[in-house]
Amino acid sequence: MSELFPFKQVMGFVFSMVLTAVALGVYFFDMSFAVGMTVLLVTAFLQAGLQLVVFMHAGETEDKGAIYTNVYYGLIIALVTVFGTLLAMVWDMG
Amino acid sequence: MDINHSLPLEYSTEENRLKIFGFWIFLGAEIMLFATLFAAYFTLYNRTAGGPDGAEIFQITPVFLETILLLTSSFTIGLGIHAMRLGRVKAMMGFFIVTLLLGLGFLSVEVFEFITYVHEGAGIQTSAFTSSLLATLGTHGAHVTLGFFWGLFILIQVKKRGLTPATANKSFIFSLYWHFLDVVWIFIFSFIYLKGMM
Repeated sequence: MSELFPFKQVMGFVFSMVLTAVALGVYFFDMSFAVGMTVLLVTAFLQAGLQLVVFMHAGETEDKGAIYTNVYYGLIIALVTVFGTLLAMVWDMG
Repeated sequence: MDINHSLPLEYSTEENRLKIFGFWIFLGAEIMLFATLFAAYFTLYNRTAGGPDGAEIFQITPVFLETILLLTSSFTIGLGIHAMRLGRVKAMMGFFIVTLLLGLGFLSVEVFEFITYVHEGAGIQTSAFTSSLLATLGTHGAHVTLGFFWGLFILIQVKKRGLTPATANKSFIFSLYWHFLDVVWIFIFSFIYLKGMM
């Protein structure tokens, strides 16, 4: 039975629950916008990285380099899209 | 067919390996799709046009439930793939069934949530805020719905044909999709819900 629950994945799940609990802290505790956003950014990206490495087996085969390049490319486009939009549409309204 | 037995079944032919890589490229495009939805939401979230804002309509209980259901389903499908690699078909199918049930649970809570929003006067046409919110949540929910049926059909195929390089490959690719939806949910949970209720 225990061979069906590998330690790495169980720990990955426990860690993802801990990250969720930490993120929920911004709701239950009073904190400034900057502190809250920092907590959310850190927990969300850690959580995403955890899924990628532990559960999606991203680094397992000889395609590792190409898979990570592709993910980083998608991520960079995503960040440029989101922050570029914020820069043009929200942050310039003085 | 050239089968390499040193690798897990789902990678065992070159075609299988390329299909997995191709699916990663698709997921890269999906990241960008959701980025555009987030960009629209972050631009429009305070344009409520006299309607309710996030702090008024978001409730922690359903959001928390959805998060736990989806995170757990991501864990169980990971266990399903692990069982598949051990050749334990029954255990694998069990984990896939649990995953799909958790997915169904997630969708039920989400439907309940959408009905609540509409009752509170936050329909898709109420304001720029509700439009961008429901478009983002709805795109994710539509992906989960599609994933539910996709997973169901793969489960039926594994039951009928057993574990072959082809069915193992499909199951693995489905697991990538499911984990990806969990990643997207984490960002919705953090930057739409928690940020809105902060």
